[in-house]
Amino acid sequence: MLGDAALGAGGGYDRAAAAGSEAEGAARRRGQGQRPKEAAPTRGGPAARMSNAREKKRAKKMRNQPSSVTLSSDYGPCHSGIQHHNGGSRSFQTPKQDLYPESSQGYQQQRHPYQSPGPSYRNEQYFSKGQNRSEKERGRGGWRGGRQNVSQEMPKYITASTFAQARAAEISAMLKAVKQKSSNSLVFQTLPRHMRRRAMSHNIKRLPRRLREIAKKEAEKAVHQKKEHSKSKCRKARRRHVNLVVEFNRRQKKNIWLETHIWHAKRFHMVKKWGYCLGERPTTKSYRACYRAMTKHCLLQDLSYYCCLELNGKEEDLLKVLASMCNIDTGPTFAAVPCLSGRIQGSLVLYHANRYPEDALGPITFIWKPKDECYVTSKMRQLWIWTHPSLKQDILTELKSVFQCTEPVETCSPEPVVTFCQEKKQPDVAMSVGRKRKREDDGEKAVPLKKIIGDGTRVPLQPYCWTSQTTGVVISDLTMEILRYRLIGPLTHCVLTEALKTASVQTEMADAETELNNWWVENCKDSEKVSLHQRQEAIFELLQGISSPSEIPAGTILGLTVGDPRVNLPKKRSKALPNPEKYQDNENIRQLLLEGVPVECAHSFIWDQTICKNVTENKIPEQDLNRMRGELLVPGSQLDLGPRESKIPILLVQQPGKVAGEDRPGWGSGWDICLPKGWGMAFWIPFIYQGARVGGLQESLKHSEYKRTPHIPNDYPDCPAGVQFQEDLESILLEKFKRRPPAKRANYVKLGTLAPFLCPWGQLTRDWEVRNKAQEESVLASSPDRMSCAIESQVPCDPNPGLIIEDSQGDRVTCSQGDMMEERTTIQNLCTEHEDATSNGFFVVRSRKLLRQLSAWCRPTCGKGQRVRPASKLGQKEMTEEALLPIFKCYRRALVWVSLSLLRKGSPELHAMICVPTQEDFLQLDKDQLFCGPQEPKHRDMFKHKILKLKERKKKKNNGKALESGASHALEAKAVEEHKELILGLWPDPLPDVTSHCSRILLGFVTQGDFSLAAGCGEALGFVNLTGLLHMLSSQPADKKGLVLLRTPASLQYRFARLNIEV
Amino acid sequence: MSEPAPPVAELTLRRRLPPRLPRRRGDVYVNMKTDFKAQLSRCQKLLGPGGGCTEICIHGLGLAINRAINIALQLQAGGAGALRLAANTSTVELADVLEAQSDEDGHPPLARARNNSAIHIRVCRVSPPP
Repeated sequence: MLGDAALGAGGGYDRAAAAGSEAEGAARRRGQGQRPKEAAPTRGGPAARMSNAREKKRAKKMRNQPSSVTLSSDYGPCHSGIQHHNGGSRSFQTPKQDLYPESSQGYQQQRHPYQSPGPSYRNEQYFSKGQNRSEKERGRGGWRGGRQNVSQEMPKYITASTFAQARAAEISAMLKAVKQKSSNSLVFQTLPRHMRRRAMSHNIKRLPRRLREIAKKEAEKAVHQKKEHSKSKCRKARRRHVNLVVEFNRRQKKNIWLETHIWHAKRFHMVKKWGYCLGERPTTKSYRACYRAMTKHCLLQDLSYYCCLELNGKEEDLLKVLASMCNIDTGPTFAAVPCLSGRIQGSLVLYHANRYPEDALGPITFIWKPKDECYVTSKMRQLWIWTHPSLKQDILTELKSVFQCTEPVETCSPEPVVTFCQEKKQPDVAMSVGRKRKREDDGEKAVPLKKIIGDGTRVPLQPYCWTSQTTGVVISDLTMEILRYRLIGPLTHCVLTEALKTASVQTEMADAETELNNWWVENCKDSEKVSLHQRQEAIFELLQGISSPSEIPAGTILGLTVGDPRVNLPKKRSKALPNPEKYQDNENIRQLLLEGVPVECAHSFIWDQTICKNVTENKIPEQDLNRMRGELLVPGSQLDLGPRESKIPILLVQQPGKVAGEDRPGWGSGWDICLPKGWGMAFWIPFIYQGARVGGLQESLKHSEYKRTPHIPNDYPDCPAGVQFQEDLESILLEKFKRRPPAKRANYVKLGTLAPFLCPWGQLTRDWEVRNKAQEESVLASSPDRMSCAIESQVPCDPNPGLIIEDSQGDRVTCSQGDMMEERTTIQNLCTEHEDATSNGFFVVRSRKLLRQLSAWCRPTCGKGQRVRPASKLGQKEMTEEALLPIFKCYRRALVWVSLSLLRKGSPELHAMICVPTQEDFLQLDKDQLFCGPQEPKHRDMFKHKILKLKERKKKKNNGKALESGASHALEAKAVEEHKELILGLWPDPLPDVTSHCSRILLGFVTQGDFSLAAGCGEALGFVNLTGLLHMLSSQPADKKGLVLLRTPASLQYRFARLNIEV
Repeated sequence: MSEPAPPVAELTLRRRLPPRLPRRRGDVYVNMKTDFKAQLSRCQKLLGPGGGCTEICIHGLGLAINRAINIALQLQAGGAGALRLAANTSTVELADVLEAQSDEDGHPPLARARNNSAIHIRVCRVSPPP
């Protein structure tokens, strides 16, 4: 009781002190008077009285307070005496107290059930201080204290010493409370407003003197907390070039910077991905502007983070081995004639050797170096394989193993260039341990540090070049050696031709001592090569007269040597516009459009590493160039470097844009430009000055979405990189989900979404396999009992009414049947192979033949607005049971890449579910043209209860633990573990049958989905299960073929979408 | 033009977009996909007050020739004699690409030229008769 009162007093005091009025007796009294009233229920009442949170808050506040003021125990006996005496000093019992109704008294008593009959300190204080208080106050106090005292006898006397002792203890407690700061605030923050001064935190002398000591301590503490960093140097010193380069080199140790990094970092949201620092999206609002640039102007992207792997060896050796890593079914391979000649760039999906169609490695593009006519004798060929950095390691290890290239190249190498690099690299690495430097360090000791470019980014002491003893094939990793920019859009030609000027023919060296341009001078001595250069130049000039890159054959390669693009930089940024005068209808353009660039013009010096190195080393620094510009006689006139102008070999590769499908052909086409390293910014700025807009990773994702092509690595679920990507994405999304309070999360269990953050491809395919098997068995048994799902029951009852067989094509049908037989045998072989191999994996169908077949089946065969396109007309098979069976058999667990466009409303999202519509849905769609789609009935969350229970149990246990520390730890741990698995709103891990979990049967998932600015409606891309797709198609009516339902993870609404397979 | 019969080796035929000249403000390329009304109103807007064009050029290719003529005539009918038409026909060379599906047959020409008819109708405003 004693402590209680003191607590109240302390609290009150605290308040009073905070208010800044120290000695105001009245205020204190008031504070004291109120405090116990508030405190009383807190203490006495059960928890129901006051919320937990409030209690906690109070406890926190009281933490620093002296917990209780107690006199030492020997005062105990006289203590009660004091009270009595004290109380006794109050001799008046005002009649006013009688005025208070009984009920209120009762209430008061009820509220203070703990109060002992003796008067509290509070009451004593009232009276010791307030002798001259008003009548009313006295009366109340008297009533309060006296009420309980009435029955007690009045104290007759008071001992001064004990009384003073008791007061002393109280006073000391109060002083302590005043001295100790209870809140987290700083001293000057506790001052009343009128005592505050500007910059108090900066200068303690502005504080009242009594607070200075405390403030000083606080200030010191704050200084210690701040961590020491390089701010000690002044900004000027930090920005000095040398220090800046040191700092930059330090910062790019972990994640490689592209050459345009600084430019990007000023304008883009940067992300660290795949070991690089890349621009995600511009900081300006430019989502739509970038789209417009892609379709109407020119969008520029830095793709230098793509990795180039170089293979050197005899043509037949390379082809023989590479053939095992890809398959002719998926389209032209390395051996395709136009690719092999070096005229066009090829693209394909690599597989583990002899593992097709399983175990995909990832998509690549490749370029063969064109054959030199002069040296036909040697059959050595050079091949570049461009990969995404997330796929590089897998592909590189596989390549090394299939070519048996195990030895780092120092020991033996047919390529002198590579050894040269390597030898130089080795001592360098040994010399500067752990510090990445450009390799020509030894020559340039005077310059303290150089920017890290190209091979400077390689991990020291690790080989980047391997050779095989048996075949002599050399694999080298040219990551960051060759820069690659991508220009997308119809104005690409204007930007390119305006920004780049072909190199002038040069026959004399500028200086004898430098080796600047010596390769070019050598080259220009050969008249044949000069004429080749002129032909390349002529073709490059022709590009001005072509309105879009899509008019040029896909993958065309044009080699070129250009002058320094910095020289003819325009003064202001302007948009390069097409010049109508250049659009002449001549034979040259026609030839270029129809046949592309001739083979010899694809030749470029960029293939030669010595030349590239020379070009990189002899680049005129920006500074010198600007100085020379400043020294011009007429300011602002064109700078003419004459023979000193650098010549840079480049490679232009046409990107075909959208090729598959029927709408928007050639959308998003453009050119890729490959440069030797070190020249990044020299080309970047001129492109931007010609009006190109720059996009980041987000734009490349959108680009591939509108092109309806799978994006790397998001849409390769059968590649290791794709799997990795999915896992990363899941953890990110899950974290994001968990950050919300549970009541604000979408409950995916109730929504019937089993996997909102991850597409369970493995389980999807497995479930469909099981379904298929069950259905087959039922067919075999020819049992009439209907399956639960409409589709499965529909499959056996063919023939389909929608398919029209044309008799005129009879011969074709037979031949196709012959094909089919043949195919079946091959497929059968494949199947046996599969079954031998691991059966747990699914794979993505990439066989062109099958995809074309499926694409034909997906189209509605009749209906209004559609030209009737009988399947047999295009040499396609009818969708009959015998055509389907071999597919079912062989592609048991396969996924198909599909594109979906919504019929009406809705914009699909990531991981939206693709489902099979039922007959009733079609009926309703027929009835009501504005029918949006059916609704999924709400599911029941059977885990919620469990989670709540667990939580309760945990809480109880925690409470129990406080009481009895020896709780069973094992049980506790188990409960926690269970709790970890159960997250409110998510299904715990072993998912049930994903296909039949909802009212509509699940076919697949969306991996990219958004409102498409290109199509003007919601569009999605994703994978569906092949078996499921075929089942669905065979049961759908002819005019409704390929209609599916889409449902986003956080919604119950299904929406109709048309499914397309574009080949 | 009819679809070519696929040769022995399999080839895929892809059509490229027709070449076009750099587009001015007053150029309208008519297609069969966009709604007729929308295309007509677009032309009307260009010619109307605030459209900023004294003359527009309507281009139609192949199947869209009919529609281009239709649009021009509708414009004229709605223009109350203030519009004059001048039609030109031409032939446009289109390219069809044959994509090889296998490695061996790379040698047939990668693209073939094909001709198609086109119409270009100039619609210009004449000063209203005094």
